[in-house]
Amino acid sequence: MKNKKISQSLAFEDHFQLSKDDLHKILNIALSKGGDFSEIFLDYKIYNAINMEEDIIKETAESISLGLGVRVLSGEKTGYGFTNDFSFENIKKAALTAASISSSNTLKNATKPSIARVEHNFYPVLEPANKEPQEKKIPLVKRVYTAAQKLDPKIKKVKVILQDQIQYITVVNSEGLMISDVRPMIKLLCLAISEKDNKRESGFSGGGGRVGLEYFTEELTPQEIGTDAAKEALNLLEAAEAPAGEIPVVLAPGHSGVLVHEAVGHLLEADFNRKKTSVFWDKMGKRVSNPQVNIYDDPTLLHFRGSYNIDDEGTIPQKTLLIKKGVVKGLLQDRLSAKLMNMPLTGHGRRHDYTCIPIPRMANTYIDKGEYDPEEIIKSVKKGFYAEKYRGGQVEDSGKFTFSVSSGFLIEDGRLTAPVKQATLIGSNIDILKKIEMVGSDLKFGMQTGTCGKEGQEVPVTDGCPSLKIAKMTVGGQK
Amino acid sequence: MKKKEKSHMLRELAEYLVTFGKINGADEVEMIIVDGHEFGVDVRFGEIENLLEAGSRYLSLRVIKDKKTAFATSSDLSKETLQYLLKNAIKRAALANPDEFSGLPPLSLKKINISSLRLYDPEIPELSSEKKTALALETEKIALDDRRITNSHGASFETNETKFILANSNGFLQEYDLTLCSLSLGLQAGETDNRVEDSWFSSKRYFKELESTEEIAKKAVERTVRLLRPKKTKTQKVPVIFEPMMTSWLLGFLFVCVSGVSIYQKASFLADKLGQRIGNEKVTIFDDGLIPGKLGTRPFDSEGVSCQKTPVVEKGILKNYLCNTYAARKLKIKSTGNAVGTGVGPNNFYLKPGNRRPKEIISSMDKGLILIRTIGHGLNPVTGDLSRGAFGLWVEKGEIAYPVSEITISGNLGEILNQIEMVGNDLDFHTPLAGPTIKIQELTVAGQ
Repeated sequence: MKNKKISQSLAFEDHFQLSKDDLHKILNIALSKGGDFSEIFLDYKIYNAINMEEDIIKETAESISLGLGVRVLSGEKTGYGFTNDFSFENIKKAALTAASISSSNTLKNATKPSIARVEHNFYPVLEPANKEPQEKKIPLVKRVYTAAQKLDPKIKKVKVILQDQIQYITVVNSEGLMISDVRPMIKLLCLAISEKDNKRESGFSGGGGRVGLEYFTEELTPQEIGTDAAKEALNLLEAAEAPAGEIPVVLAPGHSGVLVHEAVGHLLEADFNRKKTSVFWDKMGKRVSNPQVNIYDDPTLLHFRGSYNIDDEGTIPQKTLLIKKGVVKGLLQDRLSAKLMNMPLTGHGRRHDYTCIPIPRMANTYIDKGEYDPEEIIKSVKKGFYAEKYRGGQVEDSGKFTFSVSSGFLIEDGRLTAPVKQATLIGSNIDILKKIEMVGSDLKFGMQTGTCGKEGQEVPVTDGCPSLKIAKMTVGGQK
Repeated sequence: MKKKEKSHMLRELAEYLVTFGKINGADEVEMIIVDGHEFGVDVRFGEIENLLEAGSRYLSLRVIKDKKTAFATSSDLSKETLQYLLKNAIKRAALANPDEFSGLPPLSLKKINISSLRLYDPEIPELSSEKKTALALETEKIALDDRRITNSHGASFETNETKFILANSNGFLQEYDLTLCSLSLGLQAGETDNRVEDSWFSSKRYFKELESTEEIAKKAVERTVRLLRPKKTKTQKVPVIFEPMMTSWLLGFLFVCVSGVSIYQKASFLADKLGQRIGNEKVTIFDDGLIPGKLGTRPFDSEGVSCQKTPVVEKGILKNYLCNTYAARKLKIKSTGNAVGTGVGPNNFYLKPGNRRPKEIISSMDKGLILIRTIGHGLNPVTGDLSRGAFGLWVEKGEIAYPVSEITISGNLGEILNQIEMVGNDLDFHTPLAGPTIKIQELTVAGQ
């Protein structure tokens, strides 16, 4: 191995100083105990952040993450080692750690890697944000801040964070694949706190995705982000306690995508079905929902936060149909589960970074649009709850899920009336899917700021849905 | 490289970079190097599923110039990269606004005997991977022998060894070593469409203190099967008992609300409440970084401020906010040694136990809920409002009657602190946020 020389201007591979021969050698070391498959994941990330609060640019941060992981598959078993010290000794040690998962006498040889070109780019940008000078980003932050602060004197506190990131990955495996991706990302967030009569509330908004800074002039302006967060904080000051009990619920388009993510998406990740821990494991081809319901996960949506040109195993991703007309049709697959279940790859093997084993994950998950006019959906409810904005959700394999509504409205006689705050919606997925009564024609996506956690690994995701009517759902408010 | 040599090399690197930063124009420089080794094995149905072992390290730095701050981190510890990052941070600091509250803490003169804190168990690096795998296998097997268990999420054994080195331009240069071992198990019971699940784990600095495979397996089984055949319940206000893990969860929420950062940001309902009554007489809460061998124990925080025992609430009166140096300066108080990364975090943050046995607390309840798990988000520190999906056990006439699911609990932390009726004697520091069983007078439980 050559002496390592670092310069920020050098290309990604130079950071590792590994030739194709070196990589081939490592893949073979990884197979030296008889594994079926070996793989090297090279990961280099540069991250920048700017924080503004209390009227000042408080601090900036820069972060470099550089490392590689070696994985070996042997039947259902996975061995993994990683390092961020690239002496050959250390990489060899990682490869041998991974190799030790197998103890077979039949040895396989790794095919010499050859570079595969990716023909598409789901995130063309003028210039990745990390290459743009900080001086160009700071005014964006200030504009968000001012927009929120100036909206109303009741806004007492504003916090704005701009984060950008670029990730270079290369996947090399024993089947001869060598493939790379360069993934830009921006997230601009605003938190606003309002105060009135000793009562405080908070509002939150943001945007971004795999975009360049031009996004904030063309798609979503800093003013909109700031105003949105401040408006939510102000509205909540006037909001009543949410109702409690089992009532009809209408889910607003866009942000309510967290429902499809929690109640459906996770449980159609292949690993949970292979292990039969998901309630869906025996439901393939079976009806679980209203025929109006079609659900997809599509990692190829242009500029979306959850999109990627290749997944973290080097697979070209595909728009994947999960539920068609209410019937379970597909799973989100990674290499290991696809092989063990004898099903095709979908390109959903993702990882947090080089320290993690890839697992099946969602990308951009959504319920497709239906036929009902959103007005008509609200009109159909005599007394119910309209859930508009969320703080997140969670599900367990048994299908029990919750999601946290930060703001919504009461529905009375087919109209949205009093604004209400903080409530939790709870249900079990099989039950809730059956209770979807109407699917709106107004498909929207939630904020391009979401992150999904599974087994300690965080990956960027987006979700979406049209207006949805749920016949009955348990709403946990205080009244 | 030998351990001692490596430690020496990393220490020298940290010192070198502090000097390099000063030479290149920074007023103040802080370097943290974390060097870790981790091992993890996941087993499921008697077979190894994943085996992971790796060493990794990272450096994080802070520079202050003209009262302007910049941060950087890197997992690439080559001198060239670090010099570049450091110079760039000094350049970048100019883009921030001056902040009179910024800056490193003064050099602490307090000496804490690190070895008396019992943070490092020499037995842990010596454990063979066969032994660790065998413990995970044994734990799962004991559970699977119980016929009520229908599926397994598997058992895992993990160990970590971590070295933490901190150097700054005020002359601080110290390090400490931590070990950690954890054994966990997740289970399911019941048939596919009526399945329930739960888990148990034990996590300790010393291998000898880890709960036995038998204890972990039995608890995981017990916790899982007690959820079988749940009923729904009507929406009502009832007394609620929090199991210790739930008290911990509540304390996690309270911690955010007493963190100096939330206070100066006015993002907490407890802002401006110092010295005031925020709970009843039964509420006494400490943050203590110096209890030997506990998970939240450390000699000094991430800025080099010595850890201490800080009374947070005493008999219901709010005594202290928990701060890093920055938040403390904003609030014109002293740092409590709670710096974690660039923010504020708990050391051992616990509710002082009372003298009631958990059984006694349950038998005192005529009708109500034992809260055993919550899922979801739904905590709002700005208001203290909480609302969560919940699993529980319904109690009638002092006896557990049946499990309930698909309920939510909601209330307000401020009100809960005033409604703690009984405090149990079962504090065990299972996690750094720790509390015993408690009974709350009344919460809204929403169901049908």
